[in-house]
Amino acid sequence: MTTAAITTDHRLTDDEMASFVIRGYHVVQPDLRAGINQEIYDALEALPSNPGDAVLEEIPQLNDVWDAPEVVGSLTSLLGPGYEMFPHRHCHRNAPGTPSQQIHQDNLMDLNIEGGQIRMPDRVDLVLAMYYPQDVARNMGPTCILPGTHVLQALPERMASQGNFRDQYIASVPAGSVVILHYDIWHAGTANTSETVRYMLKFLFQRKSNPTVPSWNHDPTGNSAIRTRLESENPMSMQRALSAKQKHFRTRMWNRLAGDQSLDLSYRDKWAGDWPR
Amino acid sequence: MPKLQRLLYINSESTHPQSAALSAAAYEPVAGSVTQIDPTSDGLPYESVHAAIIDGWRLIQAPDVWAGIGSDEAGEVIGFQFILEKIEDFTA
Repeated sequence: MTTAAITTDHRLTDDEMASFVIRGYHVVQPDLRAGINQEIYDALEALPSNPGDAVLEEIPQLNDVWDAPEVVGSLTSLLGPGYEMFPHRHCHRNAPGTPSQQIHQDNLMDLNIEGGQIRMPDRVDLVLAMYYPQDVARNMGPTCILPGTHVLQALPERMASQGNFRDQYIASVPAGSVVILHYDIWHAGTANTSETVRYMLKFLFQRKSNPTVPSWNHDPTGNSAIRTRLESENPMSMQRALSAKQKHFRTRMWNRLAGDQSLDLSYRDKWAGDWPR
Repeated sequence: MPKLQRLLYINSESTHPQSAALSAAAYEPVAGSVTQIDPTSDGLPYESVHAAIIDGWRLIQAPDVWAGIGSDEAGEVIGFQFILEKIEDFTA
C-alpha cells in the first residue's frame, strides 16, 4: 500500500461533491505528460499474461496517473487526507469480440464477511478508480454505469434480462481519463465490436479515518442549495420506492462526509410557491 | 419461412403499461443471437409498454405486483418487468 500526498489545489467543489453523492461517479481528466498514455498502452500490449495485483510493479508509469494533482485532489475530497491505495487492482483487457458483462456490483469476496462484501450506502470509504490509456469509442467496450445505484443492492441474476437502461452512462472517454466510482455502484463492461483492444486499469482507494470536517472545497453558505439538489435530482429514472431510498441515503452520506458542517435536515416547506401550470 | 417468436422485455417505472420504460431488451429467434448492453445505442426502442403494443407487440407476461416493488432484504431490481412477443417470419 502507498499513502498519497495531499493536495488542496484540485479538491472538488460542493457541487462536484454533491454530484458524486447523487450519481456515484466522477470523471477526471488529469493533465498527464505527453506520451504517457501510449507508453502505458504499449507496455500493456507487451505483457505476456495478466499480472494481477502486480500490474503496478510491471508498469510503474501508472504511478504518474495516481499521483496527478487532479486525481489526488478528487480522491482527497472523497476519502479524506491520507487515503491509501488498496492492494487489489485489476487490468481489464477488453479484446475485439468480447461480450458485455452483466450489470453488477464489485465484490472483494472476503470469506470473513457474509456475502463477501459489506455495502456502505451512507459512506464513501472505498472507491474504484478506472484509468483508460486509450480513447474509448462507444464501440470499444466502454464501461456502462447506472447513476445513483451506489446506495442500492444489486441482484444481477434477476436483472440479467434487462439489456439497455434508459439513463445509463456510457464512459466513452478520451485517453488518460480516470473515472472514480463509489465501490458499490452498479456497472458493467460492454461489448467491444471494434478492431481495437480496450484496456481499463482498475485500482481501489480507501479512506483511513472517519471524516470530521469536509475534505473538499466547502462553502457552508451554499448548504440550502446542496440540500435541494440531494432531495430532488434524479440521475436515473426508477420506481418511486427506490428514488425515496436513494434520497434518504444521499443526505446521510453528505452529512457523514461533512462532519461538523453537516446539513440541517429538519422539516422545511418545499411546496409553497407558484401554482402548477 | 417458419413463424418464430420474438421477445421484448421492458422494465417500467410502475405496473401501469403507460408508465415510462426504464430498460429494454429484445431477444431474436436466431441461432447465435446475443442480447446484451449496447453502448452504441441512442436510447430505448419504445417510451412505454403501451407504445410497444401500438407497434404490434403482444403482452404475454405482466409484472408480479408483489415481487415487483423493487426492494426487499435481498436487494433491489430496477423497474417492473413486462414481457411481450411478436410472431414473425424468420429464415432458419
